[in-house]
Amino acid sequence: MEALKDVDLIIEEGEFVGIMGPSGSGKSTLLHMLALLDDPTAGKITVDGIDVLALSSIQKTSFRLHKLGYVFQEYALLPELNALENVYLPLMMLGAPAKDYEKVALEMMETVGLGKRAKHLVSQMSGGEQQRVAIARALVNHSKILFADEPCANLDTRNTEIVMKLLRQLCDEREQTIIMVTHEPEHRQYADRILWIKDGAMDREEKCGQ
Amino acid sequence: MWNDLRVAIFLVYKAITRGNKYTLILTILVTTLAFINIIFTSSIMNGAISKAYQQAQENYVSNIVILPAVDEKYVTQVQQIKTKINTLPGVVSCSSRYAQSGVIRYDPEKDNQDVREKAWNIKSINPDEEVKVTSLQNYMVAGRYLEENDRNQIIMGKEIAGGYGASFQISSLKGAPVGDEVTIAYGNGVKRDYKIKGIYNTYFPLADLSVFVTEKEMESVLGIHNRASEVLIKTDGSVPERVYIDRLRMMGIEKEQINVWMDFIGYISGLTQTFDIIKGIVTTIGLLVAGITIFIVIFIATINRRRQIGILKAIGMKERIIVMSYVFQAAFYASLGIIAGEIIIHAFLIPYFIQNPLPMPIGLVSLVLVRQDMIFGIVSMIVVSMVSGFIPSWMVTRQNIIKAIWG
Repeated sequence: MEALKDVDLIIEEGEFVGIMGPSGSGKSTLLHMLALLDDPTAGKITVDGIDVLALSSIQKTSFRLHKLGYVFQEYALLPELNALENVYLPLMMLGAPAKDYEKVALEMMETVGLGKRAKHLVSQMSGGEQQRVAIARALVNHSKILFADEPCANLDTRNTEIVMKLLRQLCDEREQTIIMVTHEPEHRQYADRILWIKDGAMDREEKCGQ
Repeated sequence: MWNDLRVAIFLVYKAITRGNKYTLILTILVTTLAFINIIFTSSIMNGAISKAYQQAQENYVSNIVILPAVDEKYVTQVQQIKTKINTLPGVVSCSSRYAQSGVIRYDPEKDNQDVREKAWNIKSINPDEEVKVTSLQNYMVAGRYLEENDRNQIIMGKEIAGGYGASFQISSLKGAPVGDEVTIAYGNGVKRDYKIKGIYNTYFPLADLSVFVTEKEMESVLGIHNRASEVLIKTDGSVPERVYIDRLRMMGIEKEQINVWMDFIGYISGLTQTFDIIKGIVTTIGLLVAGITIFIVIFIATINRRRQIGILKAIGMKERIIVMSYVFQAAFYASLGIIAGEIIIHAFLIPYFIQNPLPMPIGLVSLVLVRQDMIFGIVSMIVVSMVSGFIPSWMVTRQNIIKAIWG
């Protein structure tokens, strides 16, 4: 069974792209492949001119660390770490000195509006706060592309608005490229463009005109 | 590489300090018990072996034994030989003994109705000398030890007297008490009556199968003087016993046979070899059980964190950092288990078994910790736990990220 077929798309730097479609249409699968979390059986993905599917497993890991950020639907934070530690973990992995990564991570926490909650364990935070921590972690390494897989699926209306506005703000102010899977039609207002997927194939494209 | 190490240690530290305390306690408890199991079993075996050797030296033949030349019945000029031996550096003291076969006859009611007879080798001691080379005087369970001028008195081990939990009760005098008389018909035809002055129990069958009269008494029985059937030498243990053989030869003891205690323990030696084999088998099985137990505990803990491993991979963490963190974590659990095990062994088990030694056929056995066994146990535990941390984390890191996260 083919999860995706004949998907051909180009995403520009600094663009906020939403991927929408019915359940089981292949939205998440497409996102996993673009984020190098899963391998397609055929095809080609190019990021900044690099054929990323040709990279070795170790190179893909390094590429994810240096160039990509990923926000999961269910926050996917490490429960043993506090918010700040979750955020600076990618910087540690990059070899940054302790005083630097703490400073940068704290700045990122402030960017997502959680500067005062930096030392809290993630279990002490609300779903919206955890998702913002996950966004901060995904961006702390100055990732070229931020992938978000239904980032508001588990959030209430208020937190959904906070997170979506934050993503839009990142795109506007930092020219952050964002590719987000969502099933909420109201999220279209935050994206520059929506790609509709149906039965594993590109169905249509919708400019949102932010 | 150093940065990978730094990240791995960071993850371990956080996982331990902020992880589930019950899981931590359970894992450490398992490793503690596994470690105690390995060390305890080998310590009991070591205790038994050590006790056998100690008994042979303290209560049986001391360290070195001089026997008559092959074609001689006695060692002659014994006083002169003993004087020389006592000048040898490292020699604590020496004592000469006569040995003469005889039949011990015990008639409890003196009515020839229930006569108990036993052929045995009767030995003599000079009590003042003997106490410096053996410790039988410390193991009297009834009556008293011999004194130099005792002539019609005898002491015997429990295996000869019977009673006191004798292993060979059936072939003993079946409970001859202190104060009763026995008659000994010596091999040279002399027959004498003796009062049982004391009965000793060393728990060491070879020592408890002996009967002693005084040297003066035996010399009057044999009609000889300044001779001996054997000369026992106690050394201070500063050098191996075999070193003294050359030294004694150089002192002029040329024709006599010189043996070390190890040459006299026959079946005990075989027993200790068997103990060594059992120790090896039991330790190996203990290690396997410990390894499998630790493996299961750490395996389940690691598998339960599969999603987190997937997340770490998704954010770009190298597989080797993840594996390293789990290996370190397992090694940490093992280290704490070892430390807790050491504390329990030294603070509770050893003092307990010193107070309550286990009665074994070779004596009362306590735990004896041997450095090599300890090192082997520690290294094995750490290696086993590291492997237990490595295998599941390596298996999970090899999984597809999405599968690891979502199952």
